[in-house]
Amino acid sequence: MIWLRRRPSRCPFLVLILIGMLFLIASSYPSIASEEEEKKDERPPRAMSIHPEYPGVVVPKGEDVRMDLIVVNGGRSDEEVLLKVTEVPKGWKAKVKTYSFTITGVYVPDGETKTVTFQAEPGKEVGPGTYTFKILGETRDKAFRSEASVVVEVKAKEEEKEEEDIVLTTSYPVLRGPSDAKFEFSIEVENKMDKDKVFNLTARGPANWEINFKPAYEDKYVSSLRLKSGQSRSMAVEVKPPRFAKSGEYPIDITVSSGEKKAKATLKVILTGTYKIEAGTPSGLLSLSTQPGKTASISLYVKNTGSATQRDITFLSFKPENWKVEFKPERLDVLESGEIKQVEVLITPAEQALVGDYSVGVNVKGEKANDDVEFRVTVKASTVWGWIGIGIILFVIAGLCALFIILGRR
Amino acid sequence: MRGVYTVFRKELADHFSSYRFLILFALITMVSLIMVYMAGMGLREALEGAVKPKFVFLMLFTSTGALFSLSQFVAFFGPLIGLVIGFDAINRERSTGTLSKLVSQPIYRDAIINGKFLAGVATIAIMLTSIALMISGLGILILGVVPGIDEILRVVFYLLISLFYISFWLGVAILFSVLFRSIATSALASVALWIFFSFFVTLGANVLANALVPMEKDATTVEQVIKHVRTQKALSLLSPMVLYTDSTSVIIDPMKKSTRSLMLVGPLEELSLSRFQNPLPLSQSLLVVFPYIAVLVAITLVCFGITYAVFMLQEIRAL
Repeated sequence: MIWLRRRPSRCPFLVLILIGMLFLIASSYPSIASEEEEKKDERPPRAMSIHPEYPGVVVPKGEDVRMDLIVVNGGRSDEEVLLKVTEVPKGWKAKVKTYSFTITGVYVPDGETKTVTFQAEPGKEVGPGTYTFKILGETRDKAFRSEASVVVEVKAKEEEKEEEDIVLTTSYPVLRGPSDAKFEFSIEVENKMDKDKVFNLTARGPANWEINFKPAYEDKYVSSLRLKSGQSRSMAVEVKPPRFAKSGEYPIDITVSSGEKKAKATLKVILTGTYKIEAGTPSGLLSLSTQPGKTASISLYVKNTGSATQRDITFLSFKPENWKVEFKPERLDVLESGEIKQVEVLITPAEQALVGDYSVGVNVKGEKANDDVEFRVTVKASTVWGWIGIGIILFVIAGLCALFIILGRR
Repeated sequence: MRGVYTVFRKELADHFSSYRFLILFALITMVSLIMVYMAGMGLREALEGAVKPKFVFLMLFTSTGALFSLSQFVAFFGPLIGLVIGFDAINRERSTGTLSKLVSQPIYRDAIINGKFLAGVATIAIMLTSIALMISGLGILILGVVPGIDEILRVVFYLLISLFYISFWLGVAILFSVLFRSIATSALASVALWIFFSFFVTLGANVLANALVPMEKDATTVEQVIKHVRTQKALSLLSPMVLYTDSTSVIIDPMKKSTRSLMLVGPLEELSLSRFQNPLPLSQSLLVVFPYIAVLVAITLVCFGITYAVFMLQEIRAL
């Protein structure tokens, strides 16, 4: 392809030099030139032919076809050759040209060859298939004619073709998670063009979704990047769904473009819903007081604040040894999203518990979510002994009073 | 009642004018002030740079400066005040022959014993209060910490319990002075009883606990140790001094939650307790040691009741 393109620019130049040199030789040494002419007299007086450089080519769809057309003058006299494309398949435009003009004829001195360019441009509607072009070359007096045909096979455009310029690869195109999570896709952008380019990064996702590009391992958002020829860079695509996004599949289209070249990739986020549980007391009060060995109860509410249904919620307690913490009911089978259920917590301190503040933790354990509630249980001294003590003192005072009455006033 | 008041006033006047009281008061004041000063200096050094410690003021009473703390000092030697004031209350009157004269006055006999006891209690109360006030003043001077209302209340309760404790020993001394005619005998008897209850009961409790719950040296389980300590504790509670130190230590230290010296605390319980390290409110501290206080008050009243009964039933003129 590249070779094909480059060729026409060099050849006329060489031909010109050649002609120039021949002219010099011919003018400075006429005697030698005439001698040479006489030697070549074996050639026919007039001969002419045209040859396409490549009689058959294969091109991808939409590509132009260019090649050299070689016009050979094999005779002893100079010829003016008229060139015409006689057969053009439908949808194509074909012409013969040099590097600067479209031409209909070319002058070829005797014994020389001339190279001109044959060019065919397909129209947009040209599909894959085989197309034959015919080019007719004839001398001005129509005495000699030569016909050449070029067979162009058009192939369907392959995708590789596009990726030759920008390559966009993703290792994990589908990510799954709850709606309050942050998703990070890793993509790799490779510049396969032979120039340094700035690439624009754009993404299209569902409404209200936050999609940002950042360089891998860096914490800044970018919207374009510069890549040297052949260089590749991995980028992260950070996707943040809105808080209350419903579960489902969400495609995200990523486009990397530079000028007209672009590469696309589709990423997919599968939201599974959020798992969140909230526990607390209706009044917000997290302290309760009791006496050693006496049960205190407090009601706890459990709320499913996530978007997924919670199943089989159990309760764990963190408590001092010999204490009892019971839950009524012991477990919740189903808790729909947004639903609130109440649980009674019964806390019984040990008989030997000290007076003072104890911490009792309750862990509400659901599916992929849990919540902690810490209660401050104030154990108070039993007043029984206080009353007994007061009773003893009163009894003693009563005895003393009796003594005063019996023995007094003597 | 007028008779009681008259005897009370006369006795109070006697106490305050006696050299015995002055020497005793000077001694106790000096010792307590020195001790509090040392405790205060120690505290000031210890609290250097500490972030607002709680209940610094109460530490004046509990921190051991040089030898022992003020509360320990009162527990050991407080009874001596009661003994010194009361050991010759009745038998001195008797030996100098003033008791029959007193009885012949138009006052009832119970007024004499009541008045003498109340005068002793009042003397002790005045002594304790003045010492406490001096200590507080010195403490404020040294530490620069003004006590809060909770701390003041705790000190008041501490003084009240101390008053009952010393009054118990005053009652014992008066009882002996009623029982024994000789002053020396009653003094010796009361000192002997003091030594017995203050030193021998705790030692004896240890020995008895060893006998009842023997502890093998190599194979002692936690339960065994706990049982041993409990037995020893229960036995030592026979001593009024133990009752007093246990109750005042809880009253004066808001962080102390039990009178038990050894407790079985599991690792989780410890974690749970350490989460909120709050001082106990005064009411809870009082409730924890209320049985102790009640017993202390009861034995004081019972002791006085016995003294009263013995004195009332005694023949005075025949002596």
